Amino acid sequence: MKILLISTCKEKLSEYEFVNPIIEIIKSFEYDIINYRNLDAINFQIYDKIIICGTSLQDNDYLNYLDDFKKLKSHDKYILGICSGFQIICSMFDEQIVDQEEIGMINVQTKIHNSLIDGDFQAYNMHNFSIDAVNSFNILAKSKKTIQMISHKTLNIFGVSFHPEVRNEQIVTNFLLI
Amino acid sequence: MKLGILFSGGKDSYLAMQMAADNNEISCLLTMNSHNQDSWMFHTPAITWTKLQAESLDIPQIIQETEGIQDKELDDLFELIINAKKEYSIQGIVTGALASTYQSTRIQKICNKLDLWCFNPLWQLSQERLLEKLQAYQISSIITGVAAEPFDSSWLGKELDSSTINELLLYSKKYRINPAGEGGEFESLVINAPMFSKKLKILSSKIHFSNFSGRLEIKEAKLE
Repeated sequence: MKILLISTCKEKLSEYEFVNPIIEIIKSFEYDIINYRNLDAINFQIYDKIIICGTSLQDNDYLNYLDDFKKLKSHDKYILGICSGFQIICSMFDEQIVDQEEIGMINVQTKIHNSLIDGDFQAYNMHNFSIDAVNSFNILAKSKKTIQMISHKTLNIFGVSFHPEVRNEQIVTNFLLI
Repeated sequence: MKLGILFSGGKDSYLAMQMAADNNEISCLLTMNSHNQDSWMFHTPAITWTKLQAESLDIPQIIQETEGIQDKELDDLFELIINAKKEYSIQGIVTGALASTYQSTRIQKICNKLDLWCFNPLWQLSQERLLEKLQAYQISSIITGVAAEPFDSSWLGKELDSSTINELLLYSKKYRINPAGEGGEFESLVINAPMFSKKLKILSSKIHFSNFSGRLEIKEAKLE
């Protein structure tokens, strides 16, 4: 299995925090890393799974590259979007993004049985945006305030608004095992 | 980017600064001097000596005193960061946070409120990898506080070199401690490193120790 990690970090210094911990989880597999500004140079077909990593709270530059991300839809790949990656996959399907600051550990409840995680758990959230409702996705898990996990109704696309690399590494591992 | 470093003088905040210095301008050091030795947020044992480290680094330092009362110390941290933003026009903060969501959540909230970037280059780094990085970057530090079995008083003042690191790795298996001290097992003070122009030399010190817990009180030190 070959994995593509997409960094959504504008600043190289952020990659230690948002990309390297994901590498630690997936390092037993073959993987490549690409920055969001270079997506047009990538042949997505050679990858089995794609993970779109998160970035800093102040970093929104990736929103200028949404058209490049939208090309992912035509490749029918397994995709996991984390935090900013969650926002990106929602935007790829024109879901409405809303202002919603959540920083810290939050209780999350699973709503639909799924391949990534079961039951109630605590998740590390760090975002300024979220979604209130979805059309193209199923809601897999929620906190009291927000939608925390989604999966596309027909495609193999998943999103988590929190950071699974902090205390929920098995979500990333389970994504690789699907 | 112009950055302020949340700087305790210990190995983690120094390493975070060194990693940030690769592509950024380090504008100032931000140090909290907590009067509460049990602070959950801030490292306390040898904070006075960060002034000499700042001199050796030739980086301006802002020190904020705090009583270390749980919520009040966050107000004091907020004041420190807002002052650094005003005085040095910093665009972001760098911390040495590794795994504590308690610490990182609070600092992220302050930075978000002040529209500052927050960088945590050691975030989720394993204890073993952290120790490897300290050696790779040639960062010399000494142990200034211990708070776990099996540490005895001989550890206070000991340098974190390859021999002590090997001992710590053995202790981590036998006593289940974090070998780089993430659980508060020990505290450190950097005495020499690539960004230092002069080494920090301890001239006199006193050991306070009882029941696997102690601190090195540095009484006199100089740069040479």
